[in-house]
Amino acid sequence: MESQASDISRRDLIRKGGAGAAALAVAAAVPAAAEAAMPRQVHYGMVIDTRKCIGCHACTVACKSENDVPLGAHRSWVEYVEKGEFPDVRRSFLPRLCNQCSEPQCVSVCPTGATYKRKEDGIVVVDADVCIGCKYCLQACPYDARFINPRTGTADKCDFCLHRVSKGLVPSCVNTCQGGARIFGDLNDPDSEVAKMVRTHAVTVLRQAMGTKPNVYYIDADHTDERDAERTGQYVRIDTFRPNAERR
Amino acid sequence: MQAVNWGFPVIGYLFLAGIGAGALTVSSSVLLRGGGGGFAGGHFRLARYGALMAPVLLIVGTSLIVFELGTFEAAVAHGEWTKLFRWINLFLTINLSPMSIGSWALALCILASLAYAYTFVRRDARPGDQQDALRRGLAWIGVPLGIAVGVYTGVLLGAMPARPLWNTPMLALLFLLSALSTGVAAILLAKAIFERHGAGRGAAAAEGHGSAAKSGGGYLLAASDLLLIGFEILAIFLFIMFAHLTIGAPAEAMKVLLPGGQLAGMFWFGVVAIGLVLPVLVELKYVVPTLLHRKAYAIPRGVEIGVAALILVGGFMLRYVVVIAGQITGPTGI
Repeated sequence: MESQASDISRRDLIRKGGAGAAALAVAAAVPAAAEAAMPRQVHYGMVIDTRKCIGCHACTVACKSENDVPLGAHRSWVEYVEKGEFPDVRRSFLPRLCNQCSEPQCVSVCPTGATYKRKEDGIVVVDADVCIGCKYCLQACPYDARFINPRTGTADKCDFCLHRVSKGLVPSCVNTCQGGARIFGDLNDPDSEVAKMVRTHAVTVLRQAMGTKPNVYYIDADHTDERDAERTGQYVRIDTFRPNAERR
Repeated sequence: MQAVNWGFPVIGYLFLAGIGAGALTVSSSVLLRGGGGGFAGGHFRLARYGALMAPVLLIVGTSLIVFELGTFEAAVAHGEWTKLFRWINLFLTINLSPMSIGSWALALCILASLAYAYTFVRRDARPGDQQDALRRGLAWIGVPLGIAVGVYTGVLLGAMPARPLWNTPMLALLFLLSALSTGVAAILLAKAIFERHGAGRGAAAAEGHGSAAKSGGGYLLAASDLLLIGFEILAIFLFIMFAHLTIGAPAEAMKVLLPGGQLAGMFWFGVVAIGLVLPVLVELKYVVPTLLHRKAYAIPRGVEIGVAALILVGGFMLRYVVVIAGQITGPTGI
């Protein structure tokens, strides 16, 4: 494991060459050496390749049935982005879920400590036995990923299907995805498919300016919104398929 | 339309607890500044009104937010009665969340205000009686705790980049100033209503620049209210101006309050005109002659009540508009 990691950094060094890459490799090698002492931390993340998404909502449905999500609420959902006028048009799909941020605002505002980021795998979870349902996290999340579960009265959201992941399975949405658009894995494992996808593609995250450092990456996501429509004068239609028709 | 997760319970809480915290702060500082008897007991009576109303307003306001808790709703819907008291979890921990610190500050403020009110309960409470030392000690605690409760609500709303309209330090200052000015207005209202008619009028007629306290402090309240509202207008100006001058999400969000926006009418008419400009103009009419020309301070009781009511309505509208506007706006882009 350890030698594998150093192999990779050496290969990177040779391939990229140049002083900048050398500096990068040195910077990467230092934490690797420090990590050798303790077991490497898992850091779950997801890449969503929107080129492979067909907007079928299978993930939405799988998530609902897997997690028994109440009517009117979603842990994961798909938005449609439609723009232009025939024949110059594009329609694309934007699957959404909790970004399991590295700087989760929901965690920093939680007054009871009910919501926290798991140290062992980076998943942001809600302890429904502690949460009081104050909705502060619903306000703080820039992605509208949270809701109050009417059955428990507590905050609820995607947890990367923690009950499945902890048994070595992939999240339900990943499992069901027809086009293979959702790739899940350990971002800290350089050999994982998800880490390779992040390295080899021009990935983006949603609302980067919020500073939350999301761990869900998108390939070829259309970041167009209604304000772009106003600015460019083009036709843009966004369907969220949620009770809050407007994106927040 | 976006989901408004925080509705009337939160707005009502911000309004009532704001008045309560303001009344406690004003009462405590009035007592410490001039309520010891040097002003013929006039200021002491003002301190008493504030002290007696503060815990009631704080407790009623705080009870309101419990209705907004998801666990409370679930408890009622499914009969899970243990969940009615899930909010106890707030007091099993403390962290850097503004709501956590605020809950503790609020709890301490309620306890302090109850103790402080207790020292005023007796009808014959007066400066220098046997409760005096305790009363003054609690007043020293009441000032910072009242300010803490007045300011934390603005910090709580302002802590989130996901809510660009709230995400400004001006909001905390605005809420604090509004809490203090509505606190003053509530005391003014109590004074105008409960002060014995003859005593109030007779003293008011005799009140001049040098003997302002003899009226029972009407001049003191009106003058300080004028100052607070002046600062509040400035805070609102800065609140709007800075958001408007910023490019991106804050400027987009501020559009709901600017002319043509969804809440513009309510904001400019309810908050600015009714709650700030009108009371300032009326108070100026009565305060300026005393302030500049040393004339006796005389204000009809009806006007005093009217001004106080306008300020209170404006305080409610401010909370309403800010709480709703913050939630129907969000970050730009995706």
